[in-house]
Amino acid sequence: MTEFDDKLKAPLLVEMDGEVEPGTFEDVATGRAMAGVRRLAARRASAFGRFAAWVFGSLVSLVITVAAWNFVAGLFAANPWLGGVASILLALAAGIVLVLVVGELTAFARLARLDSIRVQAVHAADLGDLAAARAVLVRLEALYLKREPMAWARARLAERQGEVLDADALLRLAEVELILPLDDLARAEVEAAARQVATVTALIPLALADVATALVANLRMIRRVAQIYGGRAGSLGSWRLLRRVFLSLVATGAVALTDDLLGSFAGGGILSRLSRRFGEGVVNGALTARVGVAAMEICRPLPFVAVAKPGVSATVSRALAGLFGTRDAG
Amino acid sequence: MGVSDLVEDVWRGIEAAALPAPVIRLGVTGLSRAGKTVFITNLVANLLARGRMPQLTAQGRIEAVYLQPQPDMTLPRFAFEDHLAAMTGDDPRWPQSTRAVSELRLSFRVRGRGFLGGFLAGLSGPRLLHVDIVDYPGEWLLDLALLDKGYEDWAEGVLSRIAKRPEARDFMALARAEDGALRLEEPKAAALAASFTGYLDAARAGGWADCTPGRFLLPGDLAGSPVLTFAPLPKPASTPRGCLWLELQTRFNAYKAQVVRPFFRDHFAKIDRQVVLVDVLGAIHQGPRAVEDLRRVMAEVLSAFRPGRSGWLDRLMGGHKVGRILFAATKADHLHHRQHPALTAITEALLRDAKARADFAGAQTMALALASLRCTVETEVSRGGETLDAVRGRLADGRQVAMYAGELPGDPARILAPAREGAERWLGADFALMAFAPARMTRKPGEGPPHIRLDRAAEFLIGDRL
Repeated sequence: MTEFDDKLKAPLLVEMDGEVEPGTFEDVATGRAMAGVRRLAARRASAFGRFAAWVFGSLVSLVITVAAWNFVAGLFAANPWLGGVASILLALAAGIVLVLVVGELTAFARLARLDSIRVQAVHAADLGDLAAARAVLVRLEALYLKREPMAWARARLAERQGEVLDADALLRLAEVELILPLDDLARAEVEAAARQVATVTALIPLALADVATALVANLRMIRRVAQIYGGRAGSLGSWRLLRRVFLSLVATGAVALTDDLLGSFAGGGILSRLSRRFGEGVVNGALTARVGVAAMEICRPLPFVAVAKPGVSATVSRALAGLFGTRDAG
Repeated sequence: MGVSDLVEDVWRGIEAAALPAPVIRLGVTGLSRAGKTVFITNLVANLLARGRMPQLTAQGRIEAVYLQPQPDMTLPRFAFEDHLAAMTGDDPRWPQSTRAVSELRLSFRVRGRGFLGGFLAGLSGPRLLHVDIVDYPGEWLLDLALLDKGYEDWAEGVLSRIAKRPEARDFMALARAEDGALRLEEPKAAALAASFTGYLDAARAGGWADCTPGRFLLPGDLAGSPVLTFAPLPKPASTPRGCLWLELQTRFNAYKAQVVRPFFRDHFAKIDRQVVLVDVLGAIHQGPRAVEDLRRVMAEVLSAFRPGRSGWLDRLMGGHKVGRILFAATKADHLHHRQHPALTAITEALLRDAKARADFAGAQTMALALASLRCTVETEVSRGGETLDAVRGRLADGRQVAMYAGELPGDPARILAPAREGAERWLGADFALMAFAPARMTRKPGEGPPHIRLDRAAEFLIGDRL
C-alpha cells in the first residue's frame, strides 16, 4: 500500500520518441473538415424517408413481379404457345428496362464525374497543389478525348502545360483553352432557348402553350448544355439536373435578381406598356437565360475563374436582338 | 461595376482620348548578380512574342508591341538584341554584367476594354501604353541607402561591420594608423581610397552585399575625382579646420549630392511600378551571414522608395508613387516546383520590413519565386531507395547534371533566425547550389524564351494598365 502511494506521488518523466509541434492538429482537423464536405456533398434524406422509400419500392416491385408471374403462369396453363410468346415478350421488356437503367446510370455517372472534377479543381486551386491540378487536367483531357473539334485545343494545352508551375494558373489555362470554346456553344444554346420561349410567349395566343413550351425548352436546353460540357444526361438525368438548377436558383436567386436580372425586368416592364405579351416574352426569356446560366455553372467541369460568368442581361439582349430590336446588318 | 471602377474607366477613357499616351516607368531593383539584365531581356522578349505568357490576361487584347527609341536622349539604349542573342544563341551564356545605365521603351497598342473603353475605342482607336525600363549596375543601387546617412554614421557603421572580415585586414590597418585630426594630404586620401576600393572588390568577390559606395566598384568617368577619393575613418577627438576627417566628410557629402542624388532622381524617383529581384538562393547557399547581410542591405535600399497608391488626381498632377511592388526571388529554376512556396515564403519574410511598409502605405505587393530564363527541366533522382525531386540542366562547362539542392524549410524562421543570430553555418541542413547555364533551345514562332512565372510577374506589374 505504501509502495502504491509512493508511486502515485513520485514525479514521473517518460521519454518519448519524436518531436511534437504545438498548434498543429492535422489528423483531427482534416477528419472533421472532410466529414463536413462529405455531408454537404451527399445531403441525403432522413432515415425514415429512406426506409419509407425502400418499403414502397419493394412493395411496388413485388406487386409487378407477382402480377407478371401470375400472368405468364396463367397463360401457360391456358395455352403453352401464348405463354411462350408472353414470356419472350416479358424477357425483352426486362432487357429494355435494363438497357434504359444502365443508360441512365452511366448518364448519372458522367454528371457525377463532372462534379468531382470541379470539386477536385477547386481543392487544387485552394491548396495550390500542382500535382492535383495536373490530375484534373488529365481527367479533363480524358473527358474530351473523343471530341475531334477539340483536338487542337488539347494539343495547345499539352504544349503549354509543362511551363506553368502554379496550380491556379494551370487551371486558368485549361479553362481558357478547353472550356472557353464550350462556353460559347453552351451560351448559343441558352440564347436559342431564351429566344424560343420569348417568341412563343409573345406570339402564340394559346393559354398554357407558353408554360408547356417553357418547360420543354428549358429541359432541352439543360440537357444540351450538359452534353456540351461532357455530361450525357438521359431523360431522368435531365429531370434531376433541372431540379438541381432550380435548387441553385433558389439559393442564389435573391441576389441575382437584384444585380443582373433587374435590367431585364425593368426593360420587360417598359415594353409591357407597349404590349403586354411582348413584355411577358422578355421576362420569360430572361428567366430562361437565368436558368441556362445556372445550368452552365452546374455542368461546367471547372468553375468560372478565368472567364467571367455570362451575364443574364447580356445573354438576353443578344438572344432577343433581331426578335424585338434591330440587329446590325450581318 | 462599382463607382471607383467607373471613375477608373472614365479616367482611362480620357487618358486614351485626350492626353498623350500614358507611360509606366518600371523600376527594376536588385543588387549586382540578382539577374536584372536577364529579367529585363526576357521580359521584353516574351512581351514581344507572347506565346509563353498565358497568365498575362490582357494577352488577347494586345494588338502590337514595339520597341521604341527611348525618350531620354542622353542614355544609351538597353542592348536587348545583344543580350537575347547571348542567351539564345548556339552557345548560350549569361549576358555580361552591366557597367552603365541604359534604357528601353516598350510600346503597347491595346484594344479598349469595358463599357467606356469599348465606346471610346470606337472614337479614338486602340490605346497606346509605353513602358520604360532602366537597367543599371546593381552596385550603384546600394548608394540609395547612403542618402539619409551622415558621414559619421556611415563611417562608424562600416568600420564596425567590416572590422572582423578577412578581406578588410589591410584597409583596417591603414585606417587605424591614420589620424583624422591631421591636415589633409592628397596622397594619403588617395591611398586610403585605393585601399578601401581594394577591400570593396574583395568583399564583393567574397559574396558580401553591403559594398558601398557603389561607384568605387564601377566608377565610370568619375575615376580619380575627389568625390571618389574618400574612405570611412573614425571621428577624431578634435576636428580642426581643414583636417583629413572634415575633408573626407565634405567629399562624402558631395558624393551623395552630386552622384547618388541625381542617379536616384533621374531613374528611381519617378517609377510607378517596382520589381525587387533578390537572389535568395545564392545567399542561402553562401550561409547565414550572407542572408543577414542581404536582409539588412535590401531593407536600407528599399527605404529610399516612396510606395503608396497614386490616385487619378495624383497622376494628373504628376505625382509619382510606387503603386505596385513585386518581390521576386530569382533563379527559381534551380529548385523543383514543389519547393517554390517555401522559397516565396522565405523571400517574403526576408523583405518583410519593406513589404509591410508598402502595404501600409496602400501599395499592392506580391512575393513570387521566378526564373527569368528557365534553364532546367524537372526530373527525379533516387538516392538510397529514396526519390528526390531534382532539376536537370547544363552547367557552364557543358556537363549535363541533375541537381537536388536540398530541402528548403517551410518555415522561414529556420533560415532567418540563425542568420540574425550570426550563426556560421546552417544547423542540421545542407544546401548546395550549382550555377546552371542557359540551355540550348529551339523556339517555335511566336514564343519567347522559356521562363517560370515571368507572365505572372508581368500581369502583376503592368497587367492592370493594359
